[in-house]
Amino acid sequence: MITEFLTWLRFLILRKKNSELDDELRFHLEQSIAAKVAAGLSASDARRQALIEFGGVETTREQCDRQRPGWWAGIISQDVRYAMRSILAHRWFSAAIVATLALGIGLNTMVFTLVNAVLLKPVPVPNGDRLVSVMERNLVHDVGSVPLSYPDFQDYRKQAKLFDFFEAVTQEAGVLSEQGNPPQQYQLDRATAGMFSMVQTNAFLGRPLLPGDEQPGAAPVVVLAYNVWQERYAGLPGIIGRQVHVSGQSATIVGVMPKDFRFPHGVDLWMPLVPTPDLAKRDNRILQCYAILKPGVTPRKAGAELDGISNRLTSQFPEDKGLGVSVLTFQQRFNGGRIRTAFLLMLAAVGFVLLIACADVANMMLSRSLNRQREMSIRTALGASRWRIVRQLLIESVLLSTLGGLLGLGLAEGSIHWFDLATTGIRPDWVQFTMNFPVFGYFAALCVLSGLLFGIAPALRSSKTSVFDVLKDRAHSVGSHRGAWLSSALVVFQFALTLVLLTGAGIFIHSLLDRLAVNPFIPASQVTTARLHLPEERYKDNEARIHFFDQLLLRLRSMPGVRHAAIASGAPGMGAANEQIELEHLPIANPVQRPWISFVAQFPGYFDTIHLPLLQGRDFNETEGTSKHEAAVLTRDAAARLWPGQNPIGKRFRLFDDKNKPTPWITVIGISANMVQEAWDDNPKPLLFVPYRQEGWDNMALVVESGADPLQSMRQAVQSLDGELPLSEPFRLKDAIEQQIWFLRIFGKVFLTFALIAMLMASVGIYAVIAHATNSRTQEIGVRIALGATVSNILLLVMRRGLWQVAVGLAVGLAAAFPQARVMASIGLRSDPVIFCSVAFMMASVGVFACWLPARRAAGLDPVKAIRYE
Amino acid sequence: MPTSTDLLQGTLDLLILQTLALEPMHGWGIAQRIQQVSKDVLQIGQGSLYPALYRLEYKGWIKAEWGNSENNRRAKFYRLTAAGRKQLQSEVETWDRLSSAVSLILGRTVEASR
Repeated sequence: MITEFLTWLRFLILRKKNSELDDELRFHLEQSIAAKVAAGLSASDARRQALIEFGGVETTREQCDRQRPGWWAGIISQDVRYAMRSILAHRWFSAAIVATLALGIGLNTMVFTLVNAVLLKPVPVPNGDRLVSVMERNLVHDVGSVPLSYPDFQDYRKQAKLFDFFEAVTQEAGVLSEQGNPPQQYQLDRATAGMFSMVQTNAFLGRPLLPGDEQPGAAPVVVLAYNVWQERYAGLPGIIGRQVHVSGQSATIVGVMPKDFRFPHGVDLWMPLVPTPDLAKRDNRILQCYAILKPGVTPRKAGAELDGISNRLTSQFPEDKGLGVSVLTFQQRFNGGRIRTAFLLMLAAVGFVLLIACADVANMMLSRSLNRQREMSIRTALGASRWRIVRQLLIESVLLSTLGGLLGLGLAEGSIHWFDLATTGIRPDWVQFTMNFPVFGYFAALCVLSGLLFGIAPALRSSKTSVFDVLKDRAHSVGSHRGAWLSSALVVFQFALTLVLLTGAGIFIHSLLDRLAVNPFIPASQVTTARLHLPEERYKDNEARIHFFDQLLLRLRSMPGVRHAAIASGAPGMGAANEQIELEHLPIANPVQRPWISFVAQFPGYFDTIHLPLLQGRDFNETEGTSKHEAAVLTRDAAARLWPGQNPIGKRFRLFDDKNKPTPWITVIGISANMVQEAWDDNPKPLLFVPYRQEGWDNMALVVESGADPLQSMRQAVQSLDGELPLSEPFRLKDAIEQQIWFLRIFGKVFLTFALIAMLMASVGIYAVIAHATNSRTQEIGVRIALGATVSNILLLVMRRGLWQVAVGLAVGLAAAFPQARVMASIGLRSDPVIFCSVAFMMASVGVFACWLPARRAAGLDPVKAIRYE
Repeated sequence: MPTSTDLLQGTLDLLILQTLALEPMHGWGIAQRIQQVSKDVLQIGQGSLYPALYRLEYKGWIKAEWGNSENNRRAKFYRLTAAGRKQLQSEVETWDRLSSAVSLILGRTVEASR
């Protein structure tokens, strides 16, 4: 076997000389003649007869060549060289094709890189392909991610056999403080000690958490993320061993993790998960679990094993009733829903762009195939088979698409970088937008497939020529009608797809503008917000909190440059609490049927700060909110929904908290303008405002309107009252709104870019087809003009076909755009008939213009020149 | 008279290998030898002979060397390699099995028709 392989290899590389075979054949012929002479023939007869017997030498030579291993490589390389020559010979034509394909393939590679990172690629940690997220799920309400309790976690961990690691964390906000350093709020994860060995990561400085740390009574320790070490401690090397306070509890810094390590995600501080009596309750669900599957175990199989354990737990413990378990990859857990749909939509959209590009290129090649028929006919006449010609042309197409693809790879690299920057701080840190082998595979497949896709029809057309027709006739008059329906179909297809893309982009932009126009009365660029949490240990009751906030308000208002300041449970547009409501004299017996409302608890002056106009009634006074003086202000919309057609001032209602306990009766004292508080809720609940005294929370938002940046003075104001209190989530309201709509802004931009590129390609496509068709009808048009056809006759003649294509394309596209709008509605993007109309109108005008250009030229032809046109 | 194209697929290879098993030979010699031994039944034209020789050489079963012919002309001589000898043996076995199977069937057909 080995010697045979080596022989094969030797002949694969080395070629025999042609002259060897010639010598051998000559010898054969001479022997044959000699034999015949010996048999008694005359020399010339012997020679003649031997030659007849001998037959053709050329076929033998070809046959011998074909025995060589890898002989076809020579043929292919010949084809490639020929294709290269042909590409270079039509430089501008080829450049147009390569540029079109570079856009198509480049954008597809980019989007696939993103989709791969968001939905497919394993998390970039060791054994990331076996890393899963384990949560419970509520079987009754079909909620997919319910945290686990500590006892549940331990039962799963002990009984499960299909996991190498099974770890858990809690996520909370942790305040890091120490002498001489202002307190700061961070993302704190309390983790089981195996969390670090699970992802095989050691500390950059000091040590990670160790099993000894989670023993009850162990000395409390904290591990810092690299960014905290850099930002808070300026990379101080002697940080290990320092005593700090974490949320009021003292702890020792024992380690700093390597740069960019934030596992599971976005963590700043890690502390050991030490069992406490509170943690030991089976209904205290605060744990998220992460696990490494044993090699070869699928998440589904592992899920089945945990289901069995979960069934036992459910039957054993009443707290676990109605709970199942779910084992998902990171992508499935954290990038589901809206994100997944948006990325898949993007992949579909960019696929459309490539299809449009291919249609464009196919049309260009089709129009040239008419000019190439002469070349192909000659090759056929010289003995090339149809398959050989088709193969040759396909090699040319694939070569073109590969050139385009390589150019597009640079484009992809650039746009991935843009997307990476645009989503920094928004995307989870384990999503890394980089290319990997699947991406390159996808890229290579795209190059080959798109080459075949746009190349096959023109190749078949070019090769299907009758030698006689072409050689005796003028090339352009043959086949010009055969090609017509195909290029028309391609144009219709392009217009339909472009319309779908433009509608998609339109829906994104419509939603974006919608969101930006929310709450127009608020001067969002002047308003700064930050949240403040009063720890229960130091602020035990409502009185203490009211006292603190009243004092803080005075200090905020006295800050220089501050026009208004207020404190509310949620900054405008940043969400609200929900409770069930019951109106006086309208009791509802079944608690499930009570309607829900949203509310914001606030301190006096809030309406002025956000410039919310009061339409009726008045603002709260100082006594309202105290016992027996419960009051509320409703938005106009809420009033109309709760008391339709009545004057709501003076009406009373009460709210029910999550333990179904009613508040005292609350009187409506005012009606405000409408306002959006829950930006992402498609079906917002009626919104009302209550005084803080009525609903005393420990976590409030400070809202300050100021020309300058007041954040520094806000911090000082807070810390002059309590040095241990950090401000969290500080934002200009405008930026906060931006943060909420990043999704719309980025995807809107992406979709708009795709749609505009598609529109450009489609209009170039229709222009090229009409112009080419017109060109080949120059003589006919000349005759018509000579016979008295008017300008409008000619315009109509030329444009008729194009206008039909545009009309059909738009109709098909509109039909396809409706299901798309439905998919987009499922992720909260409302569409509007205006979008469909304006997009259709835009496409129609572009199409008509693209047809009109060649038509105008045709109408202006000089009949004498046109008739002589070759 | 059957020409080489009528030969069973692969039979030509077998014939060449068998012929070369005796001594190294040039192409003309191989064709002549096959014709003589088969009593003029099998005549191999150059159009089949040389592609077959090239095929066998590319497979490493025979090896070509330039030498001088009987009448002192330069000619290419083919000889069997060790791999070729092994191949010949297995092809002969296959042939024997095949031909005895075919003759079994033919024999039965002949008897049935009587």
